[in-house]
Amino acid sequence: MEADAARLIGASVAMLGTIGAGLGIGMIGMGAVQGIARNPDAAGDIQTNMILSIAFAEAVAIYCLMVALLLVFVA
Amino acid sequence: MEQPKKRRGVNRLLFLLVLIGSVFACVTFTPIMPHVQLAAEPVTAGPLFADFYITNTLVAVLIADVILIILALAIRRQIRKGVIVLTGIPGAFAAILEGFYGMTVSTAGKWAKKIFPYFATIFLLVLIVNLMSLFPGIDTIGILRPVEPGHDGYAIEPVVGEIYTIKEAEHDEAEEAGHDEGALAEEAGHDEEAESVGHDEEALYGFFPFVRVASTDLNFTLSLAIISVVMTQVLGFQALGKGNLTKYWNAQGLKEAWKKPQFGNPMSLIISFIQLIAGLLEIIPEIAKVFSFTFRLFGVIFAGSVLLFFIGSKIGAVGQTGVLFLELLFGPLQAFVFGMLTMVFMSLATQSHGHADEEQH
Repeated sequence: MEADAARLIGASVAMLGTIGAGLGIGMIGMGAVQGIARNPDAAGDIQTNMILSIAFAEAVAIYCLMVALLLVFVA
Repeated sequence: MEQPKKRRGVNRLLFLLVLIGSVFACVTFTPIMPHVQLAAEPVTAGPLFADFYITNTLVAVLIADVILIILALAIRRQIRKGVIVLTGIPGAFAAILEGFYGMTVSTAGKWAKKIFPYFATIFLLVLIVNLMSLFPGIDTIGILRPVEPGHDGYAIEPVVGEIYTIKEAEHDEAEEAGHDEGALAEEAGHDEEAESVGHDEEALYGFFPFVRVASTDLNFTLSLAIISVVMTQVLGFQALGKGNLTKYWNAQGLKEAWKKPQFGNPMSLIISFIQLIAGLLEIIPEIAKVFSFTFRLFGVIFAGSVLLFFIGSKIGAVGQTGVLFLELLFGPLQAFVFGMLTMVFMSLATQSHGHADEEQH
C-alpha cells in the first residue's frame, strides 16, 4: 500500500475515537440535567461544573482530531 | 429621527457591497490554502541574533500584550475618574473577572488572593490570543516562500511587476477570502502581499502568514502548562510546607507501624504499603497535567485554524462564517477551561491529604 493511502486511512481510523467523547459528553449532559431537575436552585453551580467536565471530555476527541490533522496535512 | 434611519441603511448597504465584492474577488482569484505546519514560521528572512527567529506566533503574542496593556490602561483611567461601576469594554472585563473571583473564593477559600492572578492572567492572555483568529488579517496577510521539496505548493507566475499569480493549472492568486462576518464597515481581508522570494517559476511556493494564532504554537501552550503546574507545586509548598512532599511519599502508616509493631494485624501494614505506592503514583498525573493542558488548548485551536483554512480555500466568500462562529465559541471556552483547571488544581494543592474530601460548595 502506498504511504499516502496509508496516511489517509490512518487519519480516518483515528477519528473513530470521537465516539467515546460523544458518549461521554452525552452522559455528562444527562447527569447535569437530572441534577438541575432535582435541585433547580443549584443550576448555576451545576452548569459551571458541567461545562468544565464537557471541556475535559471534549479534549480527548480533540486529541483524535489532532492526530488525524497531523496525518493529513503535516506528515 | 432622521439620523438613525440613515445610518442603518448605510450599514446594510456597506455590508452588501463587501459581500458582493468578496464573492467577486473569490471568483476572480480563487483562494488558496496556506502552508500548514506544526512549527511556527519565521517572519524575517534571517535570525535576529544567533538562532532566535521572530516567528509569526511571537508577533501574535506581542499584539495580544499590547491589547492587554491598552485594556489595563483603560480600566485605570475609568477608576481614576472615580467611576464605581465601569462601563464599556473595560466594564465587561471587570464584570467577568469579578465573577471569576467569586468562583475562586468559593473553591479556594483564603488562598483566593494568591490563586486568582494565575487564573485571570492565563484566562485573559489565552482569550485575546484565541479571539485574534477572528480578526481579518490574521492568517491571511503573508508572504510567498518556496516550500521544501516534499511538501505541496503552488507554481506562480508574475502578473504585474512584483504581484504574482498562481499558474492557471492550479488556482489563482495567493489570496485568502476574507473573514466576511462584520456588519460594520470593516474590510474583509482581501489583502494579499504576494512578494516572491525567488523568480524561479518551476519552484513551488507556499503561503506563510505574517501573524498566526499563538495557541497553534506548541511553545506557547507548553510554556503556559509548565508555568501552571510548577506554580501549583510552589503554592503547595507555600501552603503546606513539607506536607506537600508527604502527599507523594506517604510513609506515615509505615512510620507508625515501625514505632508500634502490630503483629496481630498484618492488614494495616499492607495498607500502609499500598498508601505509600498510591502516593508515589500521584506523581504521574502531575506530569500528565502538563501534556493535557498543552494538547487540549493546542488541539482545539489548531483544529479550528486548519478548518478555517480548508473551508476558506474550498468554498470561498462566505464559507468561513460557520467556522468563525465555532471559533468564537471555543476560543473563550478553552481559555476559561485552562484558567479554571489551573485554579482548581492550585486550590487542591493547598489542601492537605486528610482534608481533601471536605471541600467546596
